[in-house]
Amino acid sequence: MTARTLAWTSFIAIAAFVLMAANRLTVLDPVENVTLNVTSPMQTGLSSLTRPVADWVNNITDAGALSDENRRLREENERLTNELARAREEAIQQQSAEDLNAVKQQFPDDVFLASNVVSRDSSNARAIIAIDSGSGDGVREGMIVVSEGRSLVGTVTKTFDDYSWITLITDPKSAVSAIVQESRSDGVVSGNYDGSLVMDFVGQGAAVKVGDFVTTSGVGGRYPSGIVIGRIADVQKTDQDLFQKVHVDHLASLSKLERVLVLTSFEPRTLEKPE
Amino acid sequence: MRYWTGAAIAFFLAIVQASSVEQFKILGVSPNLLLVFLVAWLVVRGLDDVLPMLFVAGVTFGLVGLQPPGVILLALLPIAGFGVLRELHVVHSDLILVVLLVFGASLMYETVMLGSIMATGGVRGVPEIGTGLRAAVVPAAIVNVALAPAVYFVMRFARPAQRRGQLSF
Repeated sequence: MTARTLAWTSFIAIAAFVLMAANRLTVLDPVENVTLNVTSPMQTGLSSLTRPVADWVNNITDAGALSDENRRLREENERLTNELARAREEAIQQQSAEDLNAVKQQFPDDVFLASNVVSRDSSNARAIIAIDSGSGDGVREGMIVVSEGRSLVGTVTKTFDDYSWITLITDPKSAVSAIVQESRSDGVVSGNYDGSLVMDFVGQGAAVKVGDFVTTSGVGGRYPSGIVIGRIADVQKTDQDLFQKVHVDHLASLSKLERVLVLTSFEPRTLEKPE
Repeated sequence: MRYWTGAAIAFFLAIVQASSVEQFKILGVSPNLLLVFLVAWLVVRGLDDVLPMLFVAGVTFGLVGLQPPGVILLALLPIAGFGVLRELHVVHSDLILVVLLVFGASLMYETVMLGSIMATGGVRGVPEIGTGLRAAVVPAAIVNVALAPAVYFVMRFARPAQRRGQLSF
């Protein structure tokens, strides 16, 4: 190893730690905003250029499923499923005037800001996207994001002037208080490294079954209640475990999102601990 | 090779990786063309040429790829360590060397990415580390290795003129 090589290696190592610290202190935010501004047209162009090839390759690896048709049908299915789930949710909630009032207070009028997805995290461990709306458009950290079919997509975790990062519900760091619509059993829906969703902390006695809808519960104040997350795909229950492990299929087609809606009318709350 | 040429190539590749390559899902993961390219470049051109590219690629990819640039640089840094293996000539076939280094560098890259999530509280228990290794780290290494021969074949044209005529498969 030459002195020049050693110098470069040391420089990169030091730069890595300096950049990590800078990122932690949000010093890099303006640079990232400018970089996304400059590169997003190129990224969008390249993305649309390679999308047909990617769809073709992904179709082969997905046993020949027709991607476009699949996407269209998923969107249609998502919309109809959401309508059904919302109708059921309304029916259930109307049974209790108290619950209904609570929901109205939390989720008065939906005001959405439509945004385009301009970049995606390309690491295999995280699930983050960037959208072309930022703090300048009224987007704030903590706001929730839904798909065009109104299923939960994720949360705004970082905002720049013109862009925001959305941590998807499938991200390993995501956790959403949720409720099974039919049985009203609650739990926490978390993301996983393989892109799946798991609902934890569902009691052994809870009557949950495959096909049930899972919606946000509103517990904790970070999400409004009644937003559809997905449907139960599998339930694992053993006598030794305290809780059932419930696998959930998300309704929104998260890997192919092109446009999302930021729910700007909902302000997430941080609940204070009791005295 | 002039630094600006390498920097331009690295910048463009980082954009391509962030905007296009992430759309391809094989075994549930996206290939890391940037990493494979840097390793192939290391074998073909040497450590002195690849390090400036690694820096530009890492920072650019961090800025446009929604991961902290420092973490990306740290994850790519083992490539410099693997460069020593090239200098030692422990493997005489460049193609086999590329495949071995891509496998090692991919494992290191994905492990650092997984570690960064763990460090910031993204892992809720030991079983999740297993899931991370099974679902992201190992498949990514396999997919990158599958891509390596094709990238190396193209990279051979970037070999210095006096070595270009030599067969080194």
